[in-house]
Amino acid sequence: MSGYLKDLRFALARVFAFPAYLALAAAAAVAAFLLAVWFPNLGLIAELFRGSEVPLGAKLGIAISLLGGIATNFSLLSAGYTVAIAVLLGASTAMIVYLLQQGRLASAGRNIAVGSGGAASGALGIGCAACGSLVLGAAAPFAGALAALPLAGAEFGIASVVLLSASLLLVGRSIARASACSLAPPGSTQQG
Amino acid sequence: MTSLRHAVPSRRESGPREQFMRVAALLRASMAALALFAGSAAAQTDADAALIERVKEAVLKELRESGALDRAVDAGVERYVQRQRAAAAQREQREADARAGSLRPVSKARDHIRGNPDAPVTLVEYSDFECPFCKRFHGTLKQLVDRSNGKLRWVYRHFPLEELHPAKARKEAAASECAVELGGNDAFWKFADRFFELTPSNNKTDIDAVLPRIAREIGLDETRFASCLASDRYARHIEEDYQNAVATGGRGTPWSIIVSKSGKTYPLSGAQPYAAVKQLVDLALEEK
Repeated sequence: MSGYLKDLRFALARVFAFPAYLALAAAAAVAAFLLAVWFPNLGLIAELFRGSEVPLGAKLGIAISLLGGIATNFSLLSAGYTVAIAVLLGASTAMIVYLLQQGRLASAGRNIAVGSGGAASGALGIGCAACGSLVLGAAAPFAGALAALPLAGAEFGIASVVLLSASLLLVGRSIARASACSLAPPGSTQQG
Repeated sequence: MTSLRHAVPSRRESGPREQFMRVAALLRASMAALALFAGSAAAQTDADAALIERVKEAVLKELRESGALDRAVDAGVERYVQRQRAAAAQREQREADARAGSLRPVSKARDHIRGNPDAPVTLVEYSDFECPFCKRFHGTLKQLVDRSNGKLRWVYRHFPLEELHPAKARKEAAASECAVELGGNDAFWKFADRFFELTPSNNKTDIDAVLPRIAREIGLDETRFASCLASDRYARHIEEDYQNAVATGGRGTPWSIIVSKSGKTYPLSGAQPYAAVKQLVDLALEEK
């Protein structure tokens, strides 16, 4: 485990030495956070911004004030994992893009798969944060099962944090290993 | 003059035979042209293609240099954007109309209203007594109505989520209706305020102890309250509220719809902060 953390530290320092990757991570994290907090009211926001009668200041004011929903429409646990998911998703995205830029498509593909699982689980977890926000929606058949879970669906949010963390560790290792020369087996001659 | 007129007969003067001869001559000429064209087509293909290309280039150059192409593209883009905007506006209007159409009109006899009953803006809340976010939002709406100077009325309707809060949420909704039956509209709000103060939400309420306690505290006849609760006579009333919540787009609690005097609706999902709800109410107040 400490090997993975060491690789992650190295990879973070390497990737985020470039301001472009830092900006990408920040943009992805902010987008994920906005989507999570606005999720229950995306229809209202779209309606406000489509409507030409409402002044722009009022539209922006309402959209910004809805961000306060992180404190009122989320429990402490769900607010915590929502922020964690956004940060982890932002960092993972930037690091996967770095891998792709390096031409390491196989590693990037593996990490995209793990990261996507994390993001999907996070979407379910965030959906369950508000009282039954998915209960009458697409997940209606699973509503009873969700309610029976000890944390009433927050398990998905926690699973998302675990999966995204795993994705970050894996991508960190891929980046760190790509940057180091492996020890040559005895009897062979190492080049480079 | 006469001979000339015969040599070149006018159309009026030509007979059927002359007309037939002329058509036949035209047909022969066309056939000859087609044959000539077909024969020389292969030879002329390259020359024609080059000519077409030159004409195309010249036309495009002219269009570019005169700015006509840019203007045509700009106009096309503008028309596309306008069409998209119009379609979006129509869609928005349809959705708003559908929502407004599904929303059951507020009835002073049936609904529970807090604030000025004739206020220009109405906030209809669909709520579940066991939902922790409804508990939180209850305080927000109380504050909003108290500070609205009579411009906002709050209508409470039931939206018990059986999947999350089996049995208890509906029983509590029925208890609130029994409070209305025994004590009127004020008793409903006293019941709701006290219920949210006392209970922990998330199906952890000890309803056998809490409901009689609230009935006693707000001055209701406990025996009649217990009898009303046992009768289950408000089951249909609660189900109608629930169905109306779903019909208006409710997918979780609290689910609210802010309605302006002109009937424009703003849907709001979740326990949103005071500032957000206040701004939506202000927006509805500005609607004429």
